Amino acid sequence: MTRFIVRRMAQTVIVLVLISIFTFLIFQVIPNGDPAARLAGRTASPDQIRAIARSWGFDQPIYVQYLRTMQKIFSGSVVSYSQQINVVDQIRRGLPATVSLAVGAGVIWLLFGIVVGLLSALRPGRVLDRVLGFLALTAISTPAFVLGAVLLYVFAYRTSILPTGEYVPLTDDPWQWFRHLVLPWISLSLAFIGFYSRVLRGNVLDAKHEEYVRMARAKGLSGRRVMVRHVLRNSLIPIVSLWGLDFAGVIGGGAILIESIFDLRGVGQYAAESISTLDVPPIMVIVMYTGVLVVVVAALVDILYAYLDPRISLNT
Amino acid sequence: MKRTNPDRRHWTAAAAVLLLVVAVLTAAAVSARAASNHRSAGTSVTVDTSSPPNSIDPQSGYTVSAGETDWLVYTPLLTYAHESGVAGTKLIPGLATALPTVTNRGKTYTLKLRAGLKYSDGTPVLASDVKFAIQRAIKVNWGASSFLMPIAGAQAYLNGTASTISGITTNDATRTVTFNLTTAVGDFANVLAFPATSPVPQSTPMTVQTTQMPPGVGPYMFQNVVPNQSYEITKNPIFASFHIPGIPLGNIDTIKTVIVSNNTTEAEDVLANRVDAFDVGDAVPPALLGQIQSQAKGRFAKETVASTNYFFLNERLPPFNNILARQAAAYAIDRGALARLAGGFVAPSCYFIPVGIVGHPNAKCPYASPNIAKARALLKKAHLVGAKVSVYAMAKSPRQEEGQYYASALKQAGFNPQLKLIDPAIYWTTIGNAKTRAQTGMGGQFLDFPAPDDFLLLIDARNIHPVKSNNFGNVDDPWIQKRLIQLEAVPATKLQSIASQWAAVDEYQARKAYTIVWGSSQLVKFFSNRIDFSSAVFHPLFFDDYSTWKLTK
Amino acid sequence: MPGEELRVGTGVGPYRLALRRLRRNVAALVAAVVFVGIVACCLCAPLYAHYVAHTGPLDNHETERVKVGGHIRDVVSLIGIPIGPTWHSHFLLGADFNGRDVAVRLLYGGRNSLIVGFSATAITMFAAVLIALFAGYYRGWIDSVLARMLDVIWAYPAILLGVAIGTSLSLGGISLGPLKISGDSLYIPALIIGFVNIPYVAKPIRGQVIALREKEFVDAARTLDAGGLRIMMTEILPNLSSTIVVLVPLMVANSILLEAGLSYLGAGVQPPNPSWGTMISDGVRLITTSPFLVLVPGVALVLTVLSINILGEAVRDALDPRAVTRTRR
Repeated sequence: MTRFIVRRMAQTVIVLVLISIFTFLIFQVIPNGDPAARLAGRTASPDQIRAIARSWGFDQPIYVQYLRTMQKIFSGSVVSYSQQINVVDQIRRGLPATVSLAVGAGVIWLLFGIVVGLLSALRPGRVLDRVLGFLALTAISTPAFVLGAVLLYVFAYRTSILPTGEYVPLTDDPWQWFRHLVLPWISLSLAFIGFYSRVLRGNVLDAKHEEYVRMARAKGLSGRRVMVRHVLRNSLIPIVSLWGLDFAGVIGGGAILIESIFDLRGVGQYAAESISTLDVPPIMVIVMYTGVLVVVVAALVDILYAYLDPRISLNT
Repeated sequence: MKRTNPDRRHWTAAAAVLLLVVAVLTAAAVSARAASNHRSAGTSVTVDTSSPPNSIDPQSGYTVSAGETDWLVYTPLLTYAHESGVAGTKLIPGLATALPTVTNRGKTYTLKLRAGLKYSDGTPVLASDVKFAIQRAIKVNWGASSFLMPIAGAQAYLNGTASTISGITTNDATRTVTFNLTTAVGDFANVLAFPATSPVPQSTPMTVQTTQMPPGVGPYMFQNVVPNQSYEITKNPIFASFHIPGIPLGNIDTIKTVIVSNNTTEAEDVLANRVDAFDVGDAVPPALLGQIQSQAKGRFAKETVASTNYFFLNERLPPFNNILARQAAAYAIDRGALARLAGGFVAPSCYFIPVGIVGHPNAKCPYASPNIAKARALLKKAHLVGAKVSVYAMAKSPRQEEGQYYASALKQAGFNPQLKLIDPAIYWTTIGNAKTRAQTGMGGQFLDFPAPDDFLLLIDARNIHPVKSNNFGNVDDPWIQKRLIQLEAVPATKLQSIASQWAAVDEYQARKAYTIVWGSSQLVKFFSNRIDFSSAVFHPLFFDDYSTWKLTK
Repeated sequence: MPGEELRVGTGVGPYRLALRRLRRNVAALVAAVVFVGIVACCLCAPLYAHYVAHTGPLDNHETERVKVGGHIRDVVSLIGIPIGPTWHSHFLLGADFNGRDVAVRLLYGGRNSLIVGFSATAITMFAAVLIALFAGYYRGWIDSVLARMLDVIWAYPAILLGVAIGTSLSLGGISLGPLKISGDSLYIPALIIGFVNIPYVAKPIRGQVIALREKEFVDAARTLDAGGLRIMMTEILPNLSSTIVVLVPLMVANSILLEAGLSYLGAGVQPPNPSWGTMISDGVRLITTSPFLVLVPGVALVLTVLSINILGEAVRDALDPRAVTRTRR
């Protein structure tokens, strides 16, 4: 078991290193991405640009640049090209908005996804199941940013029920914090609710057919208890692990579109802005920290599964 | 099958992990609040902007929005009258006792600092601080540092071969500052009115400051700077004691600028009086214009500003090295369409020197557009039909819509355009880089100071650089060069007398279709009902003059 | 929607079975009709443009006027507000900020979005199956390397990775030796989306390959001295077919949605080329006066993806009502 954990952790580290190299390389292919010129401001002589290149290390070979950037990332002193602000500070400033969005939406979609999934699975094939199924599929087929734009139009522009965007910190004004997050939460969670309800429904129906359920029934336990104990538990575990991974993805900047539409100025929006301005240091840091989150959560999930079910081959 | 014991265990395990994750993150969220939140007493207003300054560090800021705040915090040696319209282009002494004494046939400028000046933190101001500030501006790569190059020794300082600028001499005891230039530059007095040349204490680090700004001498001072999010200026209590005439002390205690991304939200907030001012640099969404004009009558106005919006044509690459192709492009565009795309906030024009600046030509436009048929004919004559053209524009409304229109107009003329939208933060450096090989694209210039060469420098061959070029079209015409050198030497006081000669240069470049000018921007003065609209000055260079704002009663 | 399990006799192949189930599924048939209808309309874009609207998707009519219901109106008003749906042949669904015909752009945009979606899926399936086959069959260090590479791509939120690569490629295009693709070609977003989606297909298939490898018929083939490649192609690949068939509609739906998102952020299909994502992006700016600019492409997008999703679910339930394949979004 410990060997498995150690091996999984080692793989995680390798993947993280590869992620950082991959990200760094993506931005070396850009033709006009000369960062020294960008740092040099509107007018600069070739000497000035050369001086900047020397002080930032842009004249070094790529692998040296990469190592220096990684070193700066780990010491927390990465500075962005465009505004020369400390990247980690900037990310910390954007975290409250992203976390509020992710946690709120995550709770909503987990809860509603489970409820809708269970409702559908109660009587498969009946009217309720079909209607919920259709709605779920429609939710999955609607891109979050389209939903966000339409919701904004109906609730914020046409009427003034809800604000049009921006983020108010929880500590400043809890009611406004909530009002500003309602539409982003709905936009982000709807598709997940649809998806999770379908997955849960599938899991429940699968579990219903499992051998041991029939066996337990044969042993004389009441039908309802069978449903709750065996079926629910085994359907929900995969959902929770899925949730962990999706949540990690959203926190790590996967909510770029929602943050941009609602101008929440969170980590995702910062990532999007950095990408469009070809500002490599923030992109590296954000991608690393997303990567860490996602890969670590995935490893934890794997370990949890291996722990729970020794039948899973430890060699995968 | 061991399912009984692990059942409860893996439920709790899963739940525990979940709770832990959520708890840690929420803790991070709550603890990572904005840096400092101390509120100041007194009156305060909020300004929203979606075009934040490149930097508010005085020696680094060079965009319009940087100047708007910096000129009230860092008064330079000379400054401008705090008035609207032409009156606001008049130079007045700032920290200097009087306008400079110009000697040595326009190559030496001497000024004296007022007595008893102190920075907002109480430190006394020294004459040598001026020299320090200018050196710092060069060291932190101020975007307009090319204006400082005429100072003797500045080039050597920039190259690193000198440790100070030899052309600036100061005497702290007599409080004098003397500038020696390598050539006579008529506008040098205007250069001394840039906030970047304002003195700062010599303890200020030689790197761009992002949270702790150096102190300055001005009616306001910085506090609560949160990079990329917001910054505040609050009244400087000791400024009044210097009795500098012509600089208002300010009526509002604190002005907070908040950075947003969405112009529609910004406009709605000002309309609903939740936010006090709409940043001049932002475009009012046309969709809201009707609503704003009816609901916000009396606190909304269009202000014409001396600015030039144009398309540059790269003369070093085909097809625009051929004058027929340039003329074809000039005939293809419809200025009315471009005005619509800017929501009506553009006054169409065809000459580079804008209305309101000495030297603006009154002659008729050389190419009466749109005339697609003529454009197609010209292109055919040049055998350039189907020529591939890269078209560059900023990825920000309304510039990107204008870029799309320009590409479609070129297509109608027979070119094969390829549109490239670039983020504003890297747009100028991208088209200013010779390696980009940008064939045409959008250019724009807001005045840095009220003189024609501030605009025509964009077609000055001396501004062609392989990187960071300002002359995006690589215009290199000996006739223009000769005229520019002649006219630039004339001191600012005699500008009016050579107006027609400046106009002649502009008409020449328009006939040669080196650039296609399509209009002058109009900006908005748009406030909430808390600010007294009529008394607020809209300055020709710095736009919203916060020091003249006062609250309605 | 899935119905009860079907009791069938022996001797009918799985695909014939599936088809039978599919034919009974009303919702699936409706979805199929809708989807085919949308594709057909989009393919007829040039016909519509030429015969009905008399304008192309890139032609601007910024300063022109059009006769609507007896009145002559500006296509785009003086402050930049475009005309709404006229329900006539010119500007049937209105005009956009540049005076371009929305209906024409909708059809051409649909064509582009569908092309990108299908090409991306083709790229994903091809690459993912290859990678999964090699990784799952050979195991050992090949598997370690390939699995780690998959993890790297998978660890990025798809949209973040797509925007990053999309931004860098849209500026300069690709030029690797003889392969030259310009920055505004449709192949760039197709390649990016195809690439980004590889792990979502490769991981489940790899798992299946590993499981299949242990089966008897593979051992039998090995004892007959058949080469690795041969075994992969003849024994393993056919058994993956149902998984692949189930994954295809899922991937097409995903790809179309991702393309819309990328184009919305400016990293997908490049303006002025239309795609449903760029149309929505253009429309959001004017949403307060011209909501149709967002609703028209938005509804088209949702309808298309929904019909694909319904079809996909129906196919999956038809092939195996207890299918174990669940892929992450």
